[in-house]
Amino acid sequence: MTTRRTWMIAALILAVALVSGAGAAPPKDAIVIGLLAEPVTMDPPQITDLNSARVTKRIFEGLVAQELGSYKLVPGLARSWEISKDGLIYTFNLRANVTFHDGTLFNAEAVKFCFERQLNEQGPYYKTGTYPYVKGFLGNVQGVEVVNPLTVQIKLKAPLTPFLQYLAHQSLFIYSPEALKKHGKDMVKNPVGTGPFKLETWEPGVKVVLARNDQYWGGAPKVRQAIYVPIIEAQARLAAIKTGEIDLTMDVPPDSLESLRKDPNITVAESNSSAVWYIALNTRHAVLKDKRVRQAMNYAINKDAIIRDILKGTAIVSSGPMSPVYGPFHEEKTTRYPYDPEKAKALLKDAGYAGGFEVIFLVPESGSGMQQPVEMGTVIQAQLQAVGIKARIQTMEWGAYLKKYLDGPDMAEMSWNPSIGDPDHVTYMLLSSDRFPPAFNAGFYQNARVDELLRKGRTTVGDAERAAIYKEAQRIISDEAPWIFIDHGRQIIIHRKRVQGFKLHPNFDLVLTQVWLQ
Amino acid sequence: MAAVGGGGLPAYALRRLLLALPVLFGVSVLVFAVLHLAPGDPAAIMLGAQATKEDVVRLHRDLGLDQPLVVQYVRWMGHVLQGDLGRSIPLGRAVLPEVLLRFKATLVLTAGALLIAILLGLAAGIVSAVKQYTWLDRISMGVAVTGVSLPVFWTGIMLILLFALQLRWFPSSGMSSPYGSGVADVLWHLVLPAVTLGTASAAALARLTRSSVLEIIRQDYVRSARAKGLAERAVITRHVLKNAINPIITVLGLQVGFLLGGAILTETVFSWPGLGSMMVRAIQARDYPLVQGGVLLIATTFVLVNLVVDLLYAVFDPRIRYD
Repeated sequence: MTTRRTWMIAALILAVALVSGAGAAPPKDAIVIGLLAEPVTMDPPQITDLNSARVTKRIFEGLVAQELGSYKLVPGLARSWEISKDGLIYTFNLRANVTFHDGTLFNAEAVKFCFERQLNEQGPYYKTGTYPYVKGFLGNVQGVEVVNPLTVQIKLKAPLTPFLQYLAHQSLFIYSPEALKKHGKDMVKNPVGTGPFKLETWEPGVKVVLARNDQYWGGAPKVRQAIYVPIIEAQARLAAIKTGEIDLTMDVPPDSLESLRKDPNITVAESNSSAVWYIALNTRHAVLKDKRVRQAMNYAINKDAIIRDILKGTAIVSSGPMSPVYGPFHEEKTTRYPYDPEKAKALLKDAGYAGGFEVIFLVPESGSGMQQPVEMGTVIQAQLQAVGIKARIQTMEWGAYLKKYLDGPDMAEMSWNPSIGDPDHVTYMLLSSDRFPPAFNAGFYQNARVDELLRKGRTTVGDAERAAIYKEAQRIISDEAPWIFIDHGRQIIIHRKRVQGFKLHPNFDLVLTQVWLQ
Repeated sequence: MAAVGGGGLPAYALRRLLLALPVLFGVSVLVFAVLHLAPGDPAAIMLGAQATKEDVVRLHRDLGLDQPLVVQYVRWMGHVLQGDLGRSIPLGRAVLPEVLLRFKATLVLTAGALLIAILLGLAAGIVSAVKQYTWLDRISMGVAVTGVSLPVFWTGIMLILLFALQLRWFPSSGMSSPYGSGVADVLWHLVLPAVTLGTASAAALARLTRSSVLEIIRQDYVRSARAKGLAERAVITRHVLKNAINPIITVLGLQVGFLLGGAILTETVFSWPGLGSMMVRAIQARDYPLVQGGVLLIATTFVLVNLVVDLLYAVFDPRIRYD
């Protein structure tokens, strides 16, 4: 009978598939990495997401680089650099004999080409892409000049100290001008850089395979291939790392971390990160404009309990915008807000709101870096209720949420994983009055001294002077409580024991040059 | 094969295809309007907290989002009519090759699921009809009711936990091994998602097959066939099934639509590189050109499948003619 025959054929195919498939073991010299999603684009200036950055930073490099594990700047494609006394002219001495993966030579002309593609709206290659951060990162650039083939000068319109850190961001990484001329808009899937790995294949939705660049100026990496596969579902990532289908992944369900730590085949690598999770309070709101009310809200929330019970220990308590990874720029001695509902009630009474008040509390259903937004929002709502504040939660999808967030909400959850390693990129970006919506100071926080400090921090050059500036700003901000400070998420990467030499980087990058496989 | 009246069938097919055009036009207007009127802005989502006011304005201008909606629609439609679905906003890739590539993966998954639905559904339905009110019938229908009620994302995760994590028979996600390839590898990866997606349809199909077969099995001509001394198997296949098949085909056609829709969740759970998982991401990013292109493709497929189903009626039931 036909049905029976079909059944038998199906069973046979299945059996063959099972045997042949189950036999495939990970190759000895290829690392398989499970990402949350595949890269969006591989054209450096068009990248806005972490998955793309995690892959393309293996292919491309910038003039300067960050030391693995910190934000300290070290030479990249530039061997050294000088900054003029007025802070306006940056001169870079480039590495000699560096070639792109297509065999063309890296030089000062290539640097000029890459920057001018974005800067010159009338230029022949401007229309080969959209450049999300061009005004933000290159808006202050006057021009780029080739001094000689191995020296390039970048002139700024005004001094801007974080600029050097911008150069370590992928949107200012250097790619082969010839490749762009050849591929045009399709540069997005044809990356040609100078980095330790080059693109071998990209099957959309399936995998990205990078191959070792044996000609790499810094010495070829130890692994032959890096294979990136998108695994959207957290449970599936967990299954894949446990069974050894993949070697390294992230963002598994927090509940599973305990069992992973006990697994003899698995290492759980953890470190603090630059991320910050907070609730922006509208400082123009009739009630929230009172500092005592905002402080009371900080005292009302039990952050330790949120971190312990919801985040399963994957974060540390926050008392300001900057996490401890900022090292010398991080201020320890800020106002702290331990869980103290009585103090919260006293402050509210002091401010004239002993009977409480009502606000609307925006909560996204999910979103980039948002941890467990709904669960956290629900707990926060209950704890505010306990001191008399009635927060009415409104949840929505991330895209709609971002629009509402910049529409002057009473209070709203937000998180920020800065991709730039400068303190300016947290403080100025989120809390300067220069950054009112549509930029990201959604609570309209404004303090004259903080504004002055943050503007000064952008132009001051010495690290010691800048540290003093940012520490003072953090003390004022913590005391003024423009946010309910909640937590700094920890970075957690899970890998198989056969992966050796892996080290975490504060901005969530997955660096592979020093990794080898057992 | 049954006879089809004169030149009626091609003419009918052509007429239906022409009628599909206004339907697709309506779909294009609807999806465009829904997407653009929904809150959210692709530029803001791309830029995130690093956004500067200047960059938001410039990006809107470069993407043409500063134009009135009608202008944006006409411009888009003009390109679509020339076969150009535009470029995805964040991906920067041409939409048409991208959606077609992903659609292939979705078709593989849908075909796998449909096969499972037909095999399981028909078998269970026929068995429970023929053995009505026996324990076989009760078990089949019990399983069917459960199957219809289970959401695919739950079934999917349960299958991953059992067959990928515990038993390790099948991989947990993807369409192929990171370091392997070939048809066997794809089939191995297909099993869990196809079962996840196919079970719900199988259940619906089983219930319908049962009632459809039960209706026919009580007809006089079936009794005559049996009285003739025909073997029960021949009675069922030749006389009962052939007459019970049309309602089943109708539902099968609808199930294709259901499977294409259900594929969105299944693909997300199993990271299957199909149109569904891509559309979820595109909607989250407000990637207008990609979502519009994907919806147009799905709508076209649905219209075509329905047409094929209508034509199949005539093939299976000679009484139906399209004149």
